[in-house]
Amino acid sequence: MNTSHDYPVLQVEGLNIYYGNFHAVRNVSFEVRPGEIFGLLGPNGAGKTSTLSAAEGLLKPSAGTIRVAGYDIAKQPLYARACLGVQLQATSFQPELTLTEIIQLYAGIYGVTLVQNELEAILRDIKLQDHAGKRFGQLSGGQQQRVSLVIATIHDPKLVLMDEPTTGLDPQSRRQLWERIEAMRDKGHGIVLTTHSMEEAEAVCDRIAIIDHGQIITIDSPQAIIDNNRDRPEVIRASRKGKITLEDVFIGLTGAEVRA
Amino acid sequence: MPSTISSPALTATATAPALLPAPRTLPSTAAVFSALLRADLTTQWRNRRASIMVVLLPVVIVISWKALIDKVGGAFILSNAITLGLNAIGLMGYTNSIARDREKEIFQRLRVAPAPNWTIMGSRLTVQLIMITLMTAIIFIVGYQYDHIVLSFTGYIGGLLMAIVGGAVYLALGQAIVGRIINPETVNATSRLIYIAFIMIGMFGELGMLGDFVDHAVKYSPYGTVKSIVSGALTPATWTAETSLALAITLGYTALFAFLGIRWFKWSTRS
Repeated sequence: MNTSHDYPVLQVEGLNIYYGNFHAVRNVSFEVRPGEIFGLLGPNGAGKTSTLSAAEGLLKPSAGTIRVAGYDIAKQPLYARACLGVQLQATSFQPELTLTEIIQLYAGIYGVTLVQNELEAILRDIKLQDHAGKRFGQLSGGQQQRVSLVIATIHDPKLVLMDEPTTGLDPQSRRQLWERIEAMRDKGHGIVLTTHSMEEAEAVCDRIAIIDHGQIITIDSPQAIIDNNRDRPEVIRASRKGKITLEDVFIGLTGAEVRA
Repeated sequence: MPSTISSPALTATATAPALLPAPRTLPSTAAVFSALLRADLTTQWRNRRASIMVVLLPVVIVISWKALIDKVGGAFILSNAITLGLNAIGLMGYTNSIARDREKEIFQRLRVAPAPNWTIMGSRLTVQLIMITLMTAIIFIVGYQYDHIVLSFTGYIGGLLMAIVGGAVYLALGQAIVGRIINPETVNATSRLIYIAFIMIGMFGELGMLGDFVDHAVKYSPYGTVKSIVSGALTPATWTAETSLALAITLGYTALFAFLGIRWFKWSTRS
């Protein structure tokens, strides 16, 4: 019997998504456990965002089931979403609202009661205590990402989904975000992130799945994926500096041609 | 295993699936709606310049048409001003704010939270109903102060109620526009075009300046029926069978536009 610790926070089984006649996601299955950072890697149009959107309940799959903390996203969407924190690609908050108002809005939606001290503590934690009254639209990209992350975890969700969270961030902000993601993992959150950065995947992910043409082609820890594929001719051909990296394996497995 | 209630805001419970480590509670719908409404009202307040513009034209009409009161009556002036205000709220304010928030993925962010879809849109519509009430009250006050237009108590209450009924037509029409058209700039251009068409054809047509055919067409257009029911409600003694027909047509327009608006609406520009 599963214990509370190893029960998957995300179970994707036989996921299929069509856009008209285009088969975008083909029979994708994977699990994410608590305290695990799971990376979903793939070229543009590989099916990463579609998979994530289905897990968020924003997209109805043609077939397959998705359970968040045991709740079927199709049958019990509100319960599943209550267990889910999401950081979307876009900075998607009302630009007229202040930082404090945005936090209060989402605390209200998630049923979290925040007193002033707790609100101040949250702002201190993300080093934005001096910006509480600033409107979201006035914050820098890095500050907006920090707010987005704090909103995604304000209700202490079992699972956090992050769609390319470090896109557009400077190296300092990116490192800081990695540390925050790792801290979330240490608290027991299951985390799924999509990224185009192999460096990021290697640095923070415990396991990764490489997805291409809608199918998962490999799923393992970053080092195991490198070790298992380092002798493949296409990976060796992709290698640039002699040492095989995750990026070499990725290029080797998914091809070198640029995707639209 | 039913979940426990840990906060007054957390009232809904669910049976947890087998092997789940901890059951989950849901925030009450009232708490969710209240949080959304507070945010939407704040957003509306921060955009108050746009709101002032919505009220400005009707107020200018009430003030500048003062000389016409003896000729056409106070109710005619007030009903024209209110109808124009309703047009602006539904076609300009509501439609553009929905298009913008969809473009910025604000709806998608809300939809991945445990907020039922109807609460997200219901909160927006509630703010617009508040705007309609405020706009109508301002027109009544300006009409009283500057034009000395005095209505009966029933006239004021009936006028406000019919403003809400009439406002629903334009909100539903705005919903249909933003449902059919994805691009915010195109939504803005289309809603402006329809707004101007309603004003120009509606007002001039009704005054007989565009011929009998246009006059007749305007009478049964959303502009004409809304103006008719508002005018009839402001002076209840003038409410006739024709006004009742206008009310029925108004409700029909609302149902049709709302049906199309809901059917066509997409929460994201990407889907």
